[in-house]
Amino acid sequence: MIAPRAMLSKAAPLLAVAGLLGIWQVAALILNTDSFPSALDGIRAIPAILGDRGDLINILASLRRMAIGLSLAVMLAIPLGLMMGRSRAVASFFNPLLMVIYPVPKAALMPVIMLWLGVGDISKTLVIFLGVSLPIIYHSFQGAKAVEEKMLWSGAAMGMSAAQRMLRIVLPAALPEILTGCRTGLVLALITMVTSEMIARQSGAGNILFNALDMAQYDTVFAMIIIIGAMGIILDAAFERLRGRLVKWSEPRFDIPMSFA
Amino acid sequence: MKVLPLRPEVKPGSASAPAAAMPMIEIDHVSQTFQTSGRQSHLAISDISLVIEDGAFVAILGPSGCGKSTLLYIVGGFVNPTEGVAKLKGTAITGPGPDRGPVFQEFALFPWKNVLGNVIYGLRQQGVPRAEAEAQGRRLIDMVGLKGFENFYPKELSGGMKQRVAIARTLAYRPAVLLMDEPFGALDAHTRTRLQNDLLNIWERDRKTVLFVTHSVDEAVFLSDKVVVMTRAPGRIKQIVEIDLPRPRRRAELLLDPRYQKYVVDIERLIDDTGIDELHP
Repeated sequence: MIAPRAMLSKAAPLLAVAGLLGIWQVAALILNTDSFPSALDGIRAIPAILGDRGDLINILASLRRMAIGLSLAVMLAIPLGLMMGRSRAVASFFNPLLMVIYPVPKAALMPVIMLWLGVGDISKTLVIFLGVSLPIIYHSFQGAKAVEEKMLWSGAAMGMSAAQRMLRIVLPAALPEILTGCRTGLVLALITMVTSEMIARQSGAGNILFNALDMAQYDTVFAMIIIIGAMGIILDAAFERLRGRLVKWSEPRFDIPMSFA
Repeated sequence: MKVLPLRPEVKPGSASAPAAAMPMIEIDHVSQTFQTSGRQSHLAISDISLVIEDGAFVAILGPSGCGKSTLLYIVGGFVNPTEGVAKLKGTAITGPGPDRGPVFQEFALFPWKNVLGNVIYGLRQQGVPRAEAEAQGRRLIDMVGLKGFENFYPKELSGGMKQRVAIARTLAYRPAVLLMDEPFGALDAHTRTRLQNDLLNIWERDRKTVLFVTHSVDEAVFLSDKVVVMTRAPGRIKQIVEIDLPRPRRRAELLLDPRYQKYVVDIERLIDDTGIDELHP
């Protein structure tokens, strides 16, 4: 027997989604224009996309670029951020560089990158890598900077070298903050992925979306938006599960979740 | 009250008699200056010399900001003195090492490790096989009164329990010297008393050398063989008071003992003087 309160909190996200679709449906029926298909039309177009071999290959190619860009960013950004957080010299060397890159929309670099590296996978992966790196560097930096000095002293007294302390104290102590950066990075990777495919229209989920727009297949456009949104939600929820398991030791006992996990 | 010279004679019958030729810790004309954010230099401690024999329980007592923790950090090797030298068994201290185990007021536990994981961390670091480390760890956890809490994470423990874990974690790798930096300062009075009693019981078993920083006169007198009273900043040694009370010490008996009461009153007066010195130099 589930308590009514627990049932309500389980059902709340579904109710919210149903409500949103309901508003969309009603608005589309009232407006009644070709460029705003109803929610049902949008949803009805989804199986056609997912059933099409070409479209599936496109979407998988997008996901692959996203995974490679994100993995490269994680591998480089975490060590760099941690070193910046523990060494004033490293921080003052990289800080100006990062501050220059920070406000530039990474998609704005796409034309230059395309000019040099072409419109293929390398350019798009590079843009994803650039878009994702900064939040991960920033959060790793913050996490490493906040590590208690006395914790490191305790490690040093046990005979740990500087490198061991970095790997076995700074990294785990900063992990909750690092993973917060990675979560932001994951969603940014999806955003940059679609943006890069809008600019370099050659393959990918963004390409399907904008081809459909060009051909005035508006139900496909909306179906694609739903698919991309769902990918984001699923990836985020999966990541939150993983994160929750990795940093269970740091979570407060009563927490309001901010995810679909 | 007996006021000792800076280099006291070894007490007859003390555990340290064979090592009498070589004191455990020698602090030789140590001064420490810090650069403050305003590019000014702040003299934290000034020209401190102190000898600590093997197996002695020594309290460093002083008002806050007198640099007593700095002195402890210098012995720990966490801070290098601006002037002078600190030696451990005759060798100059150049950095931290497992021969000196710190216990901090902030506990500084590893929050991603459970109680057992924290306690065996140093043993694992030294290459002790897991099974053996865990067996030793469980014994220590039992000794500090936390049996049954092996799988708890630090966030699930109270302050007193956290400090028990920190003490067990440090005892685990068997340092020759325990460096305790106001270890009970963040605890409530009741917990503090219990931990003092337990610390004494543990210490009376193996008589490690202990350097114990505190600003509580009661605590210093109750625990120590020797109380080093420091002045306000810049910290200098005002006086060293030997506490000649029998061991094992029991709080209930001691509180009624006029000798104990006299030590407390005399040292409080010394600290008061320190304050007046500051106001009327």
